[in-house]
Amino acid sequence: MNTLPENLKKPLTNLLLSVADDKLMLGHRNSDWTGLAPILEEDIAFSSLAQDEIAHAQTLYELISSLTGKSADETAYGRSADEYRCATIVELPDDYNWAVAIARRFFCDHFDLLRLKRLSKSSYKPLADLASRLHAEEKVHVQHVDAWMVRLGHGNDDSKQRLQDALDTIGPYAPMLFEQVDGEAELVEAGIYPQLENEMFIIWCDDLQQVAQQSGLNLTLAAPDADAKGGRRGLHSEHFAPLLDEMCEVYRLEPGAAW
Amino acid sequence: MISKTMLDNQTIMDVLRTIPDPEMPISIVDLGLVERLDIQENSACVSIDILPTFVGCPALPMIEKDIRTKVQAIEGVKEVVVRFVYDPPWSVDRISDVGRKSLAEHGVTVPETGSKLPVPGHDGTVTLHTSAIACPFCESNNTRLESSFGPTRCRMIYYCDDCRNTFEHMKRV
Repeated sequence: MNTLPENLKKPLTNLLLSVADDKLMLGHRNSDWTGLAPILEEDIAFSSLAQDEIAHAQTLYELISSLTGKSADETAYGRSADEYRCATIVELPDDYNWAVAIARRFFCDHFDLLRLKRLSKSSYKPLADLASRLHAEEKVHVQHVDAWMVRLGHGNDDSKQRLQDALDTIGPYAPMLFEQVDGEAELVEAGIYPQLENEMFIIWCDDLQQVAQQSGLNLTLAAPDADAKGGRRGLHSEHFAPLLDEMCEVYRLEPGAAW
Repeated sequence: MISKTMLDNQTIMDVLRTIPDPEMPISIVDLGLVERLDIQENSACVSIDILPTFVGCPALPMIEKDIRTKVQAIEGVKEVVVRFVYDPPWSVDRISDVGRKSLAEHGVTVPETGSKLPVPGHDGTVTLHTSAIACPFCESNNTRLESSFGPTRCRMIYYCDDCRNTFEHMKRV
C-alpha cells in the first residue's frame, strides 16, 4: 500500500522515530572518534559509519515528516528529551574506550540489520523501499564490526579481556533495544512491521552468539523484561539530556534557519 | 527501464551520459543511477528518477544540480524534475561494462555481478575479508583488504602484495 490508514500514523511515527533516533544518536556518538580512533583506517571507518547513520536517520525523518507534516529538521532536533524514542544503549558515552565502541556497535548493528529486514518487507511501500536500501548498507556495518570482534577476540590476552569487559559492561543494556514502542502490535498486525521467520530476539541472540563463539568471547543475553519502561517510551538515562543539548546546540540558536 | 516516448529520450540520455560522478571516472548513466526518464510533451517537462548509491553519499546534491543545469539547457526543455527513489535499490550490478572498464583503468574494481556479501546467521555465514580480489593493475590475486571504508561511501581500500599498489574495490551492495 502507498497510503497509510489514519489510525496507524501515530504508531508508525513512533516506530520510525525509534529507528531514526537510534541511528542519529549512535551516529553522533561514533562521530566522537573522528580524528581519535586508534588507527587511521578506523578513523575513516567510524567517520563513515557516523555519516551513514546520520544520513539514514535523515531519510527516516523525511518519511516521518510525510506522516506528521513537521519538517525533518524540526523532527530531528526540535523535540524535548521525552519525545525521543532511542534505546539507552545508544545514549551511553563510550569514554573513548575502543572496546566499548566496538561492543556497542556489535549489539546495535545486528539489531538494526534485523529491524531493517522486517521493515523492508513492510506492506507500506515507501517504507519497504527505503528500508531495503538501508538494509543493504547496514550489512556492511555488520561485517565491519564482526571482523573487529574476531580480531580483538584473537588479538592477545589484553585485547580479548578488554573486549570481554566491554561486552559485560554494555551487554545488559542491549536487550532493551527490543522494548516496544506504543502501538507496535497494531503495526505488526497490519503487516507494516512484519515478523521474521522466527522471534527477532532469538535470531539476534543466535547471530551474536555465533560471532562471540568465533571470537572466543562469552555473551549472556536475557530477554527484556516486558514491563520495563525505557527509551522507546521516552524514559531516558541521565546521559541523554546532555547528549541532546550538545547535539542541538547550533540548531537551537536559530530554529528553522536555512543553510 | 527508460520509457520510450515520441519525444527524444535519446537526446536526454546523451546529455546525462556527459555528467560524471563527482568522485569517480564514470558517467552517472554507466554507474546505473538513472532509473527512469519521462518526458511530458506538452509541458516540455523532463522528469528523471535517480537511484542513490549510498544514502549518505554527499555527491547527491551535486549530481542533482548537474542534471538540472545540463538538461535545462536542452532546447525545448522548460522544467526538470529530479527525484531520488529507492525502488529498485541501487546495486553495483547496475554498473555497465563500459563503466567497469573505465573504473578498472583508474584502479577501482567492482564486485562480480550477482555476488553476495556474507553476513551472519540466517543470511549466510560470517567471513572476514579473505576472498581474493584481483589487482586491477597486475591482475594478481595476492591482495588483501587494507580498510573496509575508503575515500567515498561506496569504496574500500585493498593492497596488492605483488605490484605494491593500493587500489579501491566497490562495496557489494
